[in-house]
Amino acid sequence: MSSSPKHIKDENEDTLTPAARPREAMKSELLTLNMGPQHPATHGVLRVEIKTDSEVVAEATPYLGYLHRCMEKHSENVDYRGVIPFVDRMDYLAAINMEWGYVLAVEKMLGVEVPKRAEYLRVIVGELQRVASHLMFFGTYAIDLGAFSPFLYAFQDREQILRLFEELSGARLLYNYFWIGGVWNDATDSQLKRIEEFCDTMDENLKKYHSLVGENSIFIGRTANVGIMDTQMCLDFGATGPVLRGSGFARDLRKAKPYSLYSELDFDIITGTGAKGTLGDCWDRYDVRMREMHESLKIIRQCLAGIEAGPVMGKVKKIIKLPEGEIFMSTECPRGELGYHIVSDGAAKPYRVKVKSSCFTHVGMLPEVAPGLLIADFVATIGSIDIVLGEVDR
Amino acid sequence: MLKEIADFLNQKIPAAKAQAVEVEVGTGHVKIEASEWLSVAKLLKNTQPFDMNVLEVVSGVDFKDRIEVNYMLASFTQNTEAMIKISLPKTGALDLVEVDSVCALWKAANFQERECFDMLGVSFRGHPDLRRILCPEDWEGFPLRKDYQVQETYQGMTVNPIEKVNQRDHHFYKEIQAKYDVKQVSFSWKGDSEGGDDEAADAEA
Repeated sequence: MSSSPKHIKDENEDTLTPAARPREAMKSELLTLNMGPQHPATHGVLRVEIKTDSEVVAEATPYLGYLHRCMEKHSENVDYRGVIPFVDRMDYLAAINMEWGYVLAVEKMLGVEVPKRAEYLRVIVGELQRVASHLMFFGTYAIDLGAFSPFLYAFQDREQILRLFEELSGARLLYNYFWIGGVWNDATDSQLKRIEEFCDTMDENLKKYHSLVGENSIFIGRTANVGIMDTQMCLDFGATGPVLRGSGFARDLRKAKPYSLYSELDFDIITGTGAKGTLGDCWDRYDVRMREMHESLKIIRQCLAGIEAGPVMGKVKKIIKLPEGEIFMSTECPRGELGYHIVSDGAAKPYRVKVKSSCFTHVGMLPEVAPGLLIADFVATIGSIDIVLGEVDR
Repeated sequence: MLKEIADFLNQKIPAAKAQAVEVEVGTGHVKIEASEWLSVAKLLKNTQPFDMNVLEVVSGVDFKDRIEVNYMLASFTQNTEAMIKISLPKTGALDLVEVDSVCALWKAANFQERECFDMLGVSFRGHPDLRRILCPEDWEGFPLRKDYQVQETYQGMTVNPIEKVNQRDHHFYKEIQAKYDVKQVSFSWKGDSEGGDDEAADAEA
């Protein structure tokens, strides 16, 4: 930007041939391109200001806050139960997992015991939500890269999960299903049976989808060796979830700090392999999510086998007052680790609720990976970290 | 774990006055002096038994006389977590409080500290790009401070115009305002007597 094209032309007038002159002049400036906030590839209202040298990104600066509602401030003005609908609205594609972390933190402070059946239901519903969320990723990521039909397949299956959730909780997306002390509604036997049937068909479908998209040579060409986030970078930025696991680092909070029933369940931590390119590229992150869905289905099957009859709500006082103190509790959500830092002054409303969002952390990595990528590859990279702007901006 | 960290810090940096606070319920923390934060962070990151290679979150909390900044450090290799707490005395509603930035140690600090600056008005010394992140650049005040008041107009627009606020909420709030000191109402707004309602509910449960 420092030198104008005119200046360069003057300087090189004698040394360059007439044909080389315009080419040289073109190199002189970086073009500033505004991507978003209403751009289909940014998955919501993210704005990224990119400076490009022809088609290569030289610099990317994300601007956040277009969906900022300051739900942390809202939370200070409602009672502990009233916070749950607010946290639903953060990651609207994985609302169940958003509730789970909050509810766990409050229960831990209160010392409430959650009935066994409620725990089973929580794991079943939580893992179904993970599958639904990853399916959404699968569909929209394929759209980002120019393939439309996988989106329709993904939504067909996601719709089945949403219908089940609608029967369970009365809502399709924002459930308010996890309550402090248990879950709001019990599942019937026929519902559980349908979940089991769904697991069977889903396992088959996932294999089909993977062969349709993941093994497709165009897809591999667009994602392998693109947007590499290695382990060191992930740790520096505090990345978690599929982004960290995609880099080959095995960390899953369900194993590292087991909550709910996870210590009793048998499943594997999925990590990236670098099978199609470099370890930690976009294809690895895609692959981790696809294989994670199989693990989720495995967990659901074990829970369906173990679930027993019983109450679904524990004993909780009508007005919840947390003892004075603070707690930091994180859980493994589809997009990474979600942490709640709740500070209580002993009153019936939280003194402070701070949310540690994994998407927010991951957006911070964009300026680091962007330089040197083609604009189209940058789109593929944004898609592969799977951000939900509701959670980024809160 | 917290006690080990505190002992270690006291041995290496006595000026930090590290103090482990273990709690029965919830999460404990290590309290240190704000002036020594950068050297403490360096030590915790680079010393083997702790190896705090990840900064998970920077969480600020506003109190009447001070702002507490909590750093959640974690070691993903050792699978440990520790909360480091520093407390910064507050002077006025719009005054910034200052602490050293740790961006050079953990890149995650960049966004986290910007958020803390935006929401609570904590200025991080040595941050490469300390701008607001969630609020617009020209927003006034720090929303998560307890004494924050929303500005009435923003760029010529009225913030929260009466006709757009849910009228039921609006009237309800007016009613509450007439009855109580709003800042003192510490439980859900329904119910006439604060204590009585609470106890009755407890007995019922």
